[in-house]
Order: sequence, then C-alpha cells, then structure tokens
Amino acid sequence: MKSKLPLALLILMGIFGITSRFIPHPGAEALNAYLRDTLLRIISAFALILGLGNLILRHWSKIKKKEENYGSSYVLLISLTVTAIIGLFGGTSGEGILPTRIGEFSFDVNTLYDKVMIPLGATMFSLLAFYMASAAYRSFRAKNTLAFLLLASAFIVMLGQVPLGQALWSELPSVSHWIMTVPNTAAKRGIDLGITLGVTATLLKILAGIERSWLGGGS
Amino acid sequence: MRVSNWMNIDRRWIFLAMGLAIVVPLLLPMRLPMGVQEPTQGLFDAVDAIDPEKQCLLISSDYTPQTEAENHPMTVALLRHAFARRIPVISVVLYIEAAGLIDAAVKQVMAEFNARATTHADSIIYGRDVAFLGWQPPPIVPILSMGESITGIYPVDFYGTPSDSLPMMARIQDYDDVGIVAALSSSSSPLWYVMFAQTKFGVPVGAGCTAVMAPDFYPYLETGQLSGMMGGMKGAAEYEVLVERNFGITDRARANEGMGSQSIAHVVIMAFVVVGNIAFFATRRKEGQA
Repeated sequence: MKSKLPLALLILMGIFGITSRFIPHPGAEALNAYLRDTLLRIISAFALILGLGNLILRHWSKIKKKEENYGSSYVLLISLTVTAIIGLFGGTSGEGILPTRIGEFSFDVNTLYDKVMIPLGATMFSLLAFYMASAAYRSFRAKNTLAFLLLASAFIVMLGQVPLGQALWSELPSVSHWIMTVPNTAAKRGIDLGITLGVTATLLKILAGIERSWLGGGS
Repeated sequence: MRVSNWMNIDRRWIFLAMGLAIVVPLLLPMRLPMGVQEPTQGLFDAVDAIDPEKQCLLISSDYTPQTEAENHPMTVALLRHAFARRIPVISVVLYIEAAGLIDAAVKQVMAEFNARATTHADSIIYGRDVAFLGWQPPPIVPILSMGESITGIYPVDFYGTPSDSLPMMARIQDYDDVGIVAALSSSSSPLWYVMFAQTKFGVPVGAGCTAVMAPDFYPYLETGQLSGMMGGMKGAAEYEVLVERNFGITDRARANEGMGSQSIAHVVIMAFVVVGNIAFFATRRKEGQA
C-alpha cells in the first residue's frame, strides 16, 4: 500500500495531465484547471514547509556536531528567525504590531530587502567575475586543435559581445553572431533533442511503473 | 621574471587587475560605438508593433537581486519603450525575490515620464497605463492560467487593489489581449512561456536573459518561437540605445554605463588567458628540450 497508492496516483494524474490537453470537454478542462490552480498550489505550499524544515534540521545538526564552518549555520538560522518574526509581526513596510523603526533607523521587510538582500545578492554574483578571470587564466589552455578552436571562438564571442570589439573591427559582432546562431545552435539543438528524448523515455518508464526509484527505499 | 613563471601569477594580482578594469571605466566613462544585434532589434520591433488600442505588453520579470545589473536595465528599457508608445503594460514576477525590484522600476519610470508630462493625458497613470500584478506561485500556474483569465489568477495587484477594478484590466482578459510576453530572466522562464503559453495559446514570447543563458535561447530564436532577445547587459544596452534613438529618451541608461567596464574586463580576462598560454607553451618547450 505504501508504494502502490503513490504509484496509482502518479499514473492517474500523469495520464490525465497528458490526455486532458487533447480533450476539449468543459468538464475535463474544469478538472484540469482545479488540479493546476488549487491542488498544485497546496502541494507547493507543503513542499515549502518540507524545504524549510529540511533546511532548519540540516543546519541544526551541523551546529550540534560542530561540523566545518558551523558558524555560518548560526548566521543562517538567526537571520531566518529574525526575518520571519519581522515579516510575520512587523508587516512589509512597518504596518504590523511589531515596531520596526527606532528613530530614523527602520528594519521592516522592505528595508531588509532593499538594504540587505539586494546588495548582498549583487555582491555574491559580482564575485564571479574575479573567480572566472582566475579560473580562465589557470585552466584555459590551447593544448590541442579542438582546445585552440574553443579558445578562438571564446575570444571572438567575448569581444563581439562588447562595444570595444566593434570599435576594433566593425564586423566582429557579425562573426560573433554567426558563431552563436550556427555552430552553437546546431550543438545546442542536438543536446536539447537528446535530453528531451531521455526525459520522455524516463517519463514513460515512470508512468508504466517500471522506474520506481522516486518512491525511495531502493527497490 | 622568466616566462615560465607567468603560469603562477598570484591570484590577488588577477583580482586587482579585474577590480581596476571594472571600477576605472565606471569612474571615467568611455564612449564606445554601440551596434544593435538582430535578436535585440527583433524584440524591439515586436514590442513596437503592438497596437496600444488593442493589446498590451506583458513583462514577466523573473530574476533575483543577484542578476540585477544585467536584467534590471532590461525591465526599465522595456517600460520606457512601452510608455513612450502608450502601450499598456502588465508586469508580473514568477519569483518573489523580484517583486521589490519591479515595484521600484515601475515607480522610477512612471516618475521619469510624469516629470515631463504637461497634461493628464500625457502622464502615466497606475491602473490606466500600467499594472503591477505581483507574484503567484508556483510559476507554471500563472503562466497557464493567464491564458484563461489574468484577473482570475491575479485577483489583487501587488499593492492589494482588486485587479478587476483597475481601468486597463477591463479590456485585458487573457493572452489574446497580450501583444507579446517579454520574459526577463536569470533562469529558463522564457522557455516556460514558449512551452506552456505559446504552444497552448499562441502568444508571442520575447526573452531577456543573462549573458551565460543566451546560448540556450538561440535555437528558439532561429525557429521564431522567440520573437527577439536581449542577451546580457549588452542586450540591455542595445535596447536602451534603440529607445533613445527612436523616442529621444535620454534618462539614465545603466546598461550603457556598464559597457566600458564589461569591455575592459573581457580584455583583461583574455590577456590573462594569453599570458597563461604563453607560459604553458614556454614551459612545455623547455621540458621537451631537457
């Protein structure tokens, strides 16, 4: 029962999900809309709870076992708790029951978003430029013909994607565009078709009950 | 210093060079020629072709603060284009992290236009010319449901106002009333719109993406499933140029401001790769001779 019920539900929902698209009956469309707009959102809400619970347990366990960098877990859990309390009781702009302003200093959710989350997020992503420069210098070697071709293409696209490339040679953006639209697209399309066929095959195996690893338990 | 030692440059020097390459052009702006590539021109033309009396522009801004530098100027440029042509705009987000950014963008561009407006008709009025409908999870739900009823899936806007009380929503029901969906993203959301909204409801889709995501979208540009695309900060800068050229809008263009930094940073990365390769071959030759 533990595995048969989820499997039966999956097969039922999977087959309905596929066939509903080809059934122009108001009843089928209404059921499809109900499953999508209501049931799917309830499941998503539970997934959020599951994810949050998992995150808290994982970091709590890391602190208890004093694993490497466990200090960061304190930061995560404290930030999570403080932000949740401010959000739940202080409102997004300080309209809640919890005071979120001390003189000129405010700490409501909107302020935390504007003054903490946006700068921190942008800072994290901007670090990529520095690490990419370092990694490219250390690992990008024209060791053979293929690696040389890759390097040459990368240089053309990198220069073609910035105005300086156009200033150096007006046709460079066109060459860069050709690389993106012809060799890149050909390779990407092949990869995408392979992935899609693989996904379709796996989906059919799951719907037929052949692939059951998603049920857990290893069998 | 021997050439073979170039293989072991301390990474702090690389970080310093990159830092200077980024900061100096921001402090000392460069004027560089800005051509417009086909994908950006395609998106501009598709938006420009919208009949403001019949259809609206739907901007789905699905990025997080991490990619603000690349994606946010796209939202601002699209809003300026739509407002200049008086195309009604519906703005939504598929990720909650984007909501604050889009709220700020809508208010910023409205303020820019209203500062120049001389009459009520010239002004950009919230609810008449633009509506920010906010966030509804999970992404697949609003993408599909907007094909049946936009106000049905967004009963209230971002500010809590019933969306069917906004004047512009009286004539905007579903994707039939949308000229194009411009999905600006740091993920694959433009492809979700192609897969679910376009195949089922036939709505045109355009993309705005980070530079690293752009190669993924070219096959869809080739097939015409994407009407156009802004790829990375360069794509945003090209769109800003098109808006400036066509409508004379000279407000702050942040993507263009970043083009000098991006140009020099690319050159610095390439220079380090060249140095690394010279050192690699010099070392290999020396080892071969030994």
